[in-house]
Amino acid sequence: MPKCTINGQEVVVKDGATIIEAIHHNNQKIAHYCWHPGLSVAGVCRLCMVEIEGNPRLQIACNTVVSEGMKINNTSEKVKDAAKWGLDFHLINHPLDCPICDQAGECGLQDQYMEFGKYDPEMAERKVKKKKVVDLGPTVVLDTERCILCSRCVRFTDEVSKTNELGIFNRGDRSEIGTFDGKELDNKYSLNTVDICPVGALTSKDFRFRQRVWYLKDAQSICTGCSTGCNVKVYFNKEGLFRVKPVFNEKVNGYWMCDEGRDIYKFVNKNARLLKGKKKKPTGFEEFFPGALAKDISSLVTADPGKVAFVVTGQFTNEEYDQVFSLWTKKWGSKNIFHWLNSPEKQNEFDGLLLRGDRNPNTQGLLKRLKDFGISTQWKDLITKINTHEIDTVVVAGPENPIWFPDFKEKLASLAKAKSLIWMQSSNHPEFENVPAGTYLIPLKSFVEKEGTFTNYSGLDQKFSKVTTIVSEALTLTEACTLLAGENLMIRPDPNVLIAAHPTADRVTLEHRKKNEFVFRRGAL
Amino acid sequence: METKLLSEHYHQDDFQNLAGYKKQGGYQVLAKALKMTSQQIIDEVKASGLRGRGGAGFPTGTKWSFLPKNNEPRYLLCNADEGEPGTFKDRLMMERAPHQLIEGMIISAFAIQSAKSYVYIRGEYNEPIRIVEKALREAYEAGFLGKNILGSGFNHEMDIYAGAGAYICGEETGMISSLEGLKGQPKLKPPFPAVQGYLRKPTIVNNVETLAAVVPIIKDGAAAYKKFGTEKSPGTKLFSLSGNVVRPGNYEVPLGYPLKDLIYKLGGGMKPGKKLKAVIPGGSSAPVLNAIEAERATMDYECLAQMGSMLGSGAVIVLDDSNCMVDMLGNLTHFYHHESCGQCTPCREGTGWLNKIVSSIMEGRGRLQDIDLLVKVADNMKGRTICALSDAAALPVLSFVQKFRDEFEYFVREGRSKVRGISYAQMHH
Repeated sequence: MPKCTINGQEVVVKDGATIIEAIHHNNQKIAHYCWHPGLSVAGVCRLCMVEIEGNPRLQIACNTVVSEGMKINNTSEKVKDAAKWGLDFHLINHPLDCPICDQAGECGLQDQYMEFGKYDPEMAERKVKKKKVVDLGPTVVLDTERCILCSRCVRFTDEVSKTNELGIFNRGDRSEIGTFDGKELDNKYSLNTVDICPVGALTSKDFRFRQRVWYLKDAQSICTGCSTGCNVKVYFNKEGLFRVKPVFNEKVNGYWMCDEGRDIYKFVNKNARLLKGKKKKPTGFEEFFPGALAKDISSLVTADPGKVAFVVTGQFTNEEYDQVFSLWTKKWGSKNIFHWLNSPEKQNEFDGLLLRGDRNPNTQGLLKRLKDFGISTQWKDLITKINTHEIDTVVVAGPENPIWFPDFKEKLASLAKAKSLIWMQSSNHPEFENVPAGTYLIPLKSFVEKEGTFTNYSGLDQKFSKVTTIVSEALTLTEACTLLAGENLMIRPDPNVLIAAHPTADRVTLEHRKKNEFVFRRGAL
Repeated sequence: METKLLSEHYHQDDFQNLAGYKKQGGYQVLAKALKMTSQQIIDEVKASGLRGRGGAGFPTGTKWSFLPKNNEPRYLLCNADEGEPGTFKDRLMMERAPHQLIEGMIISAFAIQSAKSYVYIRGEYNEPIRIVEKALREAYEAGFLGKNILGSGFNHEMDIYAGAGAYICGEETGMISSLEGLKGQPKLKPPFPAVQGYLRKPTIVNNVETLAAVVPIIKDGAAAYKKFGTEKSPGTKLFSLSGNVVRPGNYEVPLGYPLKDLIYKLGGGMKPGKKLKAVIPGGSSAPVLNAIEAERATMDYECLAQMGSMLGSGAVIVLDDSNCMVDMLGNLTHFYHHESCGQCTPCREGTGWLNKIVSSIMEGRGRLQDIDLLVKVADNMKGRTICALSDAAALPVLSFVQKFRDEFEYFVREGRSKVRGISYAQMHH
């Protein structure tokens, strides 16, 4: 544990820590581009210059390991001058695209220039012209002119995704990022290159030109794309969600997340949602206010709770499971709860980095609660019971994202054989058009509209808060079930019934959700 | 007079062949060296004070002793990627005496206990590649390379690698990257090559002339070698004299030899009717000396360093009064702009910027503040990058502007060269 002095302050750092880590650890500012905590050291931007006592030359902080008694200074005029000129060298061939650049507002070059810049540009020559729109693959577009050649994206594909699609071609100021012949940037983690790009050179095809980032708010949440439970930040405004980015959590996802996870916002937005409670009649759908519909059809459930089955997916929070299961088992003494597991054969798949075959955020939480409530039912029993009319009514808590449920149509058809089917789900699905009369659809809230806890594949409980409201009339699973039980939402539920069977300690270790220094610098507006 | 320690037999054509080389006592030093211990050789080289002849002038024996003391495989690389504008000594050495280099390399490899070495020859050097290749074959056939060399139990393999044509591959870590099959880009130090170099194994990179100079050092001992040259710069060195002199060429002289003797005695003086104006004493990266400085400069590491220049690779480029310094600088900035590898920002952007400013001046679009800007940009490129290319690009700019500012100012004010009388644009009209 060497002790060093940074700008006069004594700091003790870990063995082998570099100066830049020590400076960040000490909450001091230092200009840098190419250094990224999740990648190897490139040492090419030459911005993080520091003065070390006894060394006449400035040294880069990212590649210099702290040694005992080192006296480091990064506020001297010499260091400031080096950063100023370093930034100016970055900028001389960088186009002044800011008004039309997607990165504007969260751009490393803008931020660092504000902080460390020279404010006196002297470049009077013509800039180097390069290609403006280069299609790198299905997800990413490159603007070669904006690129400052920090090589973060190249190192990402070399070291993290290990797919090696990107390289730097040509030399000198003609250098540019590109894909190798016959390759395109199409790995499952390609959009991380957009996150770590400190400028607007790499832009996401999905997000580019859709919003100026200063019109977006952001909030932290958990990705529901698979059981890894990556910590994410969702960016939204009153129109809905626009993008999802990873947040550093060393216990879960590190700095990264997969491309599929970034699509989760698409089934949360209004156009993909079930907006109204619906009742299928032979002539078509009749629309209702969701809460009213749920209360109205409560007789279907309460008349004979023993003939009601509850089908649940691993997409809801632990709190919802606890309350709904206790309603079913304690109030009605029914154990007709069935777990709808999507693609059981893929449950244990893992791609080696983040993405898991279990595409539910909370399968572990559900399994634990099923066990704790003593429920061990088989799917085929449900089908038998429906066919033998042992079960009249099926209440389904369906998936938020039906894409991950390839058996959706088949399950819908088999459950529709019951006398009445109450299907609660946040997203809409084209198959709903074909349901038989006597089916009820109740819109639920998605994960951004409620708070709760997900338990990820490793058993880590992660709490998340409400982000925004998209479908204001939608209900949480607890609310919907309370109404279906004939209760009133306004009245506190009977504490003997709706107890939290598992008081979950707040294990969401907020201290692990440190800021991803660079990409997520900007706080909420 | 030249002191021909290395180049004594260069004029003999058969010196290229093994037979001719052996006739002059070739490979006897190897036999002697193999009877010594490797530490003895390192000590001898250290005692001789031999300094790297590639440009940086780092003491060779000290470099060798940086190798970690373990049994890890280690490599010896011979840097024959002679790219510094004005330098052509390695080419001569490889063409005229390939066996001298090979013998020096085997001795050096024995000293650092390396079982494998490469000669990284500049790709454009077709003739040297052919000649060294032939010599290597001869050396293998004669048992100087391969298993159990001369019955000493020392095994060594040597290979040639033809460079891919980049100036930066002459930088030692750039060369290692290139040899590894990567893009020729210098690597971040630390780790230094002596600890982690080629294939992440300890590696020693030495210039052709350095390795060849090991032969006379082992032959006659360090003391005999130290008789030549000055105290801090012992030995002899080949200087590539070029520019407007009567007899340009390679001249081997002891270090500390006066520059004016090199130009006026060995080089035969300036071309008729021309007057000495400036000398670039150590390849294009070395700061320029004006005529007065050139008169009193001696060709050794200390004197040139004291004058703010450097001995570099020993390429002496002589400029006379018909050469326009703005043109010259334009040529150099174009070269460094073209050769920057593009890794570090100050060099990648700075070399381009310098080149654009000088071009603007040459095209008559220059502003007076551009001259100061050249200095500012060059100042901020110096010492800020991974390798020395940025410094190499900045130093000539600083020295040209400092010593010949009047020519730059004239060019900006009048839009034409003070020497040539016409502008670049007119010249190429």
